[in-house]
Amino acid sequence: MKRLYFVLLFFLIVATATAQEKKRSGSERKRKNNAAYNKKNKEDDKFLQKQWWLGFKAGPNLSKVSVDKTYSIVVPTNYEASTIGKNYESYNLMGSQATLEVSFYFKGFTISFQPTYQRSRFEYSNQFTWSDTVATHNVELKYNQEQKLSYAVLPLLVKYDFLTGRLRPYVQIGVYSALLLDATKIVTVSGVDQASGGANEFQNESVIVGAKDLFAKSHWGLLGGVGLNYNLGNNVRLNFDVAYKHGMSNISSTKNRFSSDRLSGVGDALDDLKLDNISVTLGCLFPLRFLSSGFKTLDKK
Amino acid sequence: MLRKLYSLLFTLAGLLIIAGCSEKSNPEYDIQNFTSVFDNNKFDASYFPIDMRETPDGGYIILGGRRLSENSEFAGIYLLKVDKFGQFEKEIDVPKSTGVYPVGKLIEYQTRYYFFCMDEQTLNAQIASVDALLEAVAAKPVQGTLTYPGAVSFIDNNFVLLSYDNSAKQSVISLLNPDGGILASKGYDIGVGADDQIITEKYVIEHYLRTGRQWPFEVGKMANGLYYFNGFFNYTFSLVFSDVQADEPRNVVQGQSDKGGLSAVSYIGANKFAFARFSYGNNYILPNKDVPTGSPSSSDFGGYTLPELVADAPVKILPVTVDNKTALVYASNTRSKQIGLYFYDENSGKFISSRYLGFSNPYEIASLIQTTDGGLAITGTTYLAGRFPRICVFKISKEELAGQINK
Repeated sequence: MKRLYFVLLFFLIVATATAQEKKRSGSERKRKNNAAYNKKNKEDDKFLQKQWWLGFKAGPNLSKVSVDKTYSIVVPTNYEASTIGKNYESYNLMGSQATLEVSFYFKGFTISFQPTYQRSRFEYSNQFTWSDTVATHNVELKYNQEQKLSYAVLPLLVKYDFLTGRLRPYVQIGVYSALLLDATKIVTVSGVDQASGGANEFQNESVIVGAKDLFAKSHWGLLGGVGLNYNLGNNVRLNFDVAYKHGMSNISSTKNRFSSDRLSGVGDALDDLKLDNISVTLGCLFPLRFLSSGFKTLDKK
Repeated sequence: MLRKLYSLLFTLAGLLIIAGCSEKSNPEYDIQNFTSVFDNNKFDASYFPIDMRETPDGGYIILGGRRLSENSEFAGIYLLKVDKFGQFEKEIDVPKSTGVYPVGKLIEYQTRYYFFCMDEQTLNAQIASVDALLEAVAAKPVQGTLTYPGAVSFIDNNFVLLSYDNSAKQSVISLLNPDGGILASKGYDIGVGADDQIITEKYVIEHYLRTGRQWPFEVGKMANGLYYFNGFFNYTFSLVFSDVQADEPRNVVQGQSDKGGLSAVSYIGANKFAFARFSYGNNYILPNKDVPTGSPSSSDFGGYTLPELVADAPVKILPVTVDNKTALVYASNTRSKQIGLYFYDENSGKFISSRYLGFSNPYEIASLIQTTDGGLAITGTTYLAGRFPRICVFKISKEELAGQINK
């Protein structure tokens, strides 16, 4: 539902910006000749030499985690621990994010602060087997564990526009800090029980547990990416951005790893993890300087 | 303009630094808190813990039992060594030729850990011991005829053993030195009348075979020099006080046949006991009780009722001290298949807080100890996949324990 709100909000912003563009008389545009266009470009350049931008963008993201140290509740006594190890899936569950962007542009470089609400998802599974020499003495259990994490991400970025003009591609690097807002774990147990005389396949009801205490209150990482700004004509920019966040610190709480009696009970303890995330966002940027009413900028005299 | 930009940058940098205090790995946390379930992937493997002790390396030795075979009468002996992080180090499936039917407490004496077991053929009690590294298990018979060991304590460098004499149909309390020499011994009839004897003995024997109810046998000594045992006497499950010399007990807290009695007995010093009792399936907690006088019945003791516990629940009591505050931890099995921990003020007997361990799979209490770091270690049985009995260990940090008893 939240994603739907973000998409709707995004389209509202785009529609507003486009409407402003359409209000501008078509006939006025026709009268422009090349000289006038060059003059305008110069004014635009001057305008764009130094500018504050405010914008909003949203889009989906995909996550993966890397394991620093693994932990387990179930400790094998007569078999290898690797046989019940966790198998992490990468970039398979879609999350979402919404970003407010505040940027300052100066001669090709932009310093940008982009507070973001980010919802990330990742999952892992592990499998247990109990067997014997008797063929029917065989039980397999599979635990699937999905994590849903909500963060307030605070990235500080430097962007460089390597082209000027209406279409302005850029590269960006930065650092971010993420504050944990909420976390949920969904544990689903399924299996095959052959001990009852046949292959009895079953899947238990998922267990949904609030897991905020199990995750670190904050983590940090590095960020890089590329993007495009497209000037809609009145300096309102359409923004397309692809960013890769590389986690540099542990997202699991080392102190509270075993604090959830419910999760310990189903045999789960979080590993030490770092979270990586790829996001794709679309949005709009508005200039904050030279603004007059109706999104007209003073460079558009 | 530039000044504003700098201000903004400094603000943001500060924000990032504050927020970026990253989670640091700390091995101490992994020692202070953990949960472990020790799994064997054999379909017919079955293990249950009896008692645990902390070893000098910070790890734990767990005395347990194991299923020997489909037709074996008694449980085999199982020993498990766990490191301070709750990870598996070593296990020993003690062969039944060494002994069967392990009995706690697991007692640390000098450099070894002692427990009692039984010779499978003669049913005689044996003293078994193992070192802290679980290198070798040794067992030697007691120097006399004491059969069916049921409970043991170690007081004044001697063992106090409760056993059952199935020839004389008596509960027997004995004092033994560490070499197994019997210093004193006295038996008390478990029942009167042939029919009653048969019924009472059935309860006792089914306990040893683990085909029936597991009775909370207990034995100990009070500061006044009197010994006590919680066992069958006069065809009720009773708390019997004895000097291990006189033919008659010095006092008895009578139960009600097999329907009522004390489910946990912990002498907490001076003139005080902490009890739990069962009565027709109900459970009652009595955290602060004077030494009984005048041959009372346990059903007269009252107590706090806990309907959330399973009928006639097994209960373990542990006195703990955290930062000079003393409390009693009652541990038992709840109807929701969890281990319930109930914290009571030792002095006033008032309830402080509770905590529940385990979820999804059933969990049952076996034993709990206070660790040298001030925390709590609890061992019990869980049933992986809802069916395979395995030993579990919960470690709770001193900080969390303090949080429970300072609420």
